[in-house]
Amino acid sequence: MAQAAIDPQDYNGLRARRQALDAYWQQEISGYALVRKHSDFIDHHLAESFKKSAPASEGFALVALGGYGRQELYPFSDIDLMILYDPAHKDELNSLVEAILYPLWDTGLEVGHAVRTPDECMAFATEDFFFRVSMLDARLIAGSVPLFAKLTEMYKTVYIEGKRQEFLDDMLIQRSKREIQYGRHTYLLEPHIKESCGGFRDIQSMIWTAHVVFGLKDLASLKEAGLLSQEELSDFEQAQDYLVRIRNRLHYVSGRKNDQLFFEHQEEMAEAFGFKNEQDMLAVEHFMRDVYGHMQTVSITTDLFFEHVSEVLGSDDSPKGAKELERGIEVRHGRIHLVNADFITSKPKFFMRLFYQAAKTGKPLHFRTRKTITANLHLVDDKLRSSRRTAKLFKAILVSPEPFRVLEEMLDTGFLAAYIPEFTKVESLAQHDVYHVFTVDRHLLQTIAELQKLQQEEPNINAVVRSPDILILAGLLHDVGKGYGHGHAERGADMARQIGERLGLEPDELETLDFLVRKHLFLSHTALRRDLEDEEFLMRCAADIHSPEWLAMLYLLTIADARATGPTVWNEWKGALLLELYLKIALLLDRDDLSEQEQAQSAELGVKWICEKVTGLLPADDTTNFNLFSDDYLLSFPPEVIVEHISQAKKLESQEVLFFHEQSQESWSIFVMTKDRPGLLARIFGVLALHNLNVLAARIFTWADGTAVDTIEVSSAISEDYAGQDWEAMENELHLAIQQRLGLEYRLSRKLAPLRNKPQGVKQRLAAKVAIDNQASEQYSVIEVFSKDRIGILYDITKTLSDFGISIYRARIGSKADQVVDVFYVLDHDGRKIEDPEFKNELQQGLLYAVSQA
Amino acid sequence: MKKIEAIIKPFKLDDVKEALNGIGIKGMTISEVKGYGRQKGHKEIYRGAEYIVDFIPKVKMEIIVDSSQVDDVIETIRQAANTGKIGDGKIFVLPVEEVIRVRTGEKGEEAI
Repeated sequence: MAQAAIDPQDYNGLRARRQALDAYWQQEISGYALVRKHSDFIDHHLAESFKKSAPASEGFALVALGGYGRQELYPFSDIDLMILYDPAHKDELNSLVEAILYPLWDTGLEVGHAVRTPDECMAFATEDFFFRVSMLDARLIAGSVPLFAKLTEMYKTVYIEGKRQEFLDDMLIQRSKREIQYGRHTYLLEPHIKESCGGFRDIQSMIWTAHVVFGLKDLASLKEAGLLSQEELSDFEQAQDYLVRIRNRLHYVSGRKNDQLFFEHQEEMAEAFGFKNEQDMLAVEHFMRDVYGHMQTVSITTDLFFEHVSEVLGSDDSPKGAKELERGIEVRHGRIHLVNADFITSKPKFFMRLFYQAAKTGKPLHFRTRKTITANLHLVDDKLRSSRRTAKLFKAILVSPEPFRVLEEMLDTGFLAAYIPEFTKVESLAQHDVYHVFTVDRHLLQTIAELQKLQQEEPNINAVVRSPDILILAGLLHDVGKGYGHGHAERGADMARQIGERLGLEPDELETLDFLVRKHLFLSHTALRRDLEDEEFLMRCAADIHSPEWLAMLYLLTIADARATGPTVWNEWKGALLLELYLKIALLLDRDDLSEQEQAQSAELGVKWICEKVTGLLPADDTTNFNLFSDDYLLSFPPEVIVEHISQAKKLESQEVLFFHEQSQESWSIFVMTKDRPGLLARIFGVLALHNLNVLAARIFTWADGTAVDTIEVSSAISEDYAGQDWEAMENELHLAIQQRLGLEYRLSRKLAPLRNKPQGVKQRLAAKVAIDNQASEQYSVIEVFSKDRIGILYDITKTLSDFGISIYRARIGSKADQVVDVFYVLDHDGRKIEDPEFKNELQQGLLYAVSQA
Repeated sequence: MKKIEAIIKPFKLDDVKEALNGIGIKGMTISEVKGYGRQKGHKEIYRGAEYIVDFIPKVKMEIIVDSSQVDDVIETIRQAANTGKIGDGKIFVLPVEEVIRVRTGEKGEEAI
């Protein structure tokens, strides 16, 4: 290609800048070389302009500042330029400024420019921290050497010499400001290559500070001064070089000055960096893992550096005031020290002891101790990993007041992955979607932080948890199966079990850990996707989870996991659904807490207690025989209500049917009392249907003397107006129906005709189910009918039963989801169970037909 | 053109989406909303602690369709979202004056 042969310096003028950059790209110049060439290109042009238009060059100096001063000019970076002038030459200033700046503006370059005398510079530097810092990188492009030297001399005297502590303080303030604005973490979904933790700002801050405080001008001299080890230096340089390449490419890809690795650029960037999609991991996830890894290196290295500088300037590293915590470990100036780095080489138990002391005292490890740990990770071997003593300390850390802080130190030093090698796979592992703000390892730690918070927020639920260490461990490991493709929860559970065995957990603890990791998505999936009014489903959940403690742990883990995933995953809305699910299962589990035997016992006690209560409430001369009442009946109502039933029953001598209705909180309640007779229930349900009342629940009992006592909860299908309901007409019709003087069948068919215009027979029949069970009850056959709910269905069922001559002694009417589930305790017309297979089948078919009619 | 807004139970979302896809409706806007209505929030007491949620979590779907499709869409949503119980939700139909696709500037039916 002809273009590639052209030396980019040959392009004339700034307009050729883009072509020049393109030509560099084509020559495969990238990284530092590219930003340097770009800077040289601008230098060359500016020097030309300056030469042409500065008649008295001794009065002017063209100075590059900031990134441009460092000769690092990214494709769309600002060009920070300062025209320094001697006030004696003020007259010629205008023409020079025009000659320099106009062409830059004309080409649309972003120019940060200033025109100042050396004195003005000094005054401005006092006010402006950023200018003060950018002066550290000031570089003369063209013009008067003495003028420039005068400024740098003044600057050095005023702002560097004797100002080390002030400089450091300013730098630390800026760092913490950035942490607040861009987050404390290197692993946010869309990292800012310049300002995020572990970005260029951190690198520069370190180099500037090294310059001002120690007079060290570059990374190599930091190493020579012993501030960085050879390994730290090469890791750091590698990270820095990677970030330069990313920033270059990012400008190129975005076509503007953009230093944030936006989600939509990440895939293209990954491709540009040569990553390919693999079965278990996307190219973009590989790429982002590298990015996070390098930013993490920068972040940790600079953190350690600033701690070091603070200590040197504070000159407070004397062993005075040291307090020994245990042999070999002491606390000095609020930090935990390993007294002698050799200790860890001879006794690897010191690894965990150090973290244990950090957890116990609530104090961080000193940076030199952290460096010692990182430098000696090769000593963490299988023996240490399966040591019971070390495991005991680790578990103690998990239940300390701040496990998050200590685990974070473990992760940052590399110890966590050394101790739990399964963790290696999730280190810096990115997940390319918009929900996961953190890399997997950070997400796991964040989950611990959220569990810590939940201990304060939910003391009641936490009180149910008897082994908090297992909950924290589950939080730490719940995603450990990620990075291998689908099914991370199952894989993670198997891995967690292995880890747990190594840590010497008890069998029941292993079960709990396995359960929590395996099921960690269950509640959040269920809360969103299942009908929380489906009793049958809830019962199954309760049976699966089976212990209130497991449920509480799973609930807390679910919330912590969601909150630790990202801001879009957790909100009040999901919280409400999850809470509802939790409480429903919890209440079921509480009920099931009692064993069957206990339940039987408590039922017996309950019956006795109720009989006593009822006797106490009845007038002293009352002769009611309690043998009339089944246990089931007695347990279904409060004593006051039973007393009411007994006193009402006396009226039946003069009145054939008693009918009451009342409005309760959630529904309307109807009470019917009369002598039992064949088809009674069908007639009651028929009248209810005629009056548009849906049966929500019903308690149907027959006393031994043949008194039917029916309590029915209903709601109107058409109106919510209780007073507007025609109760009088209904009572009349009920009387007529019971006396067999009402044509229920024809009235209902006329009423329901408009609703039955859609033949759905086949579909309905598929959904319906009828079961006849002779085992469930000693005395009765139990018929269960499942079907789609519709108006009048209960009439159809009970009418069919009555047609078969079947007497209903008890019934439970209820709905699950959009299904009705009705349970009838019945005997045939001879007062026997329904045993004959042929009759059983006939009845079954008859009922199926009844519920399938639409 | 009409805008159909349906407020449904969250767990019914997948069913309704699938049913709508079945009749050729692919585009919709879905949001998590809080209902404060006749179906009140609830208060639950568990192990001595009181838990109150004063709203009911619901899902809102918004769909813009040609007027000829309105009945179909309504019936599909109604059937798919129905559990027969309180709180199944509501469907609103609103007139839409104009639809413009931002990218191309297409208007009306073309832009749906």
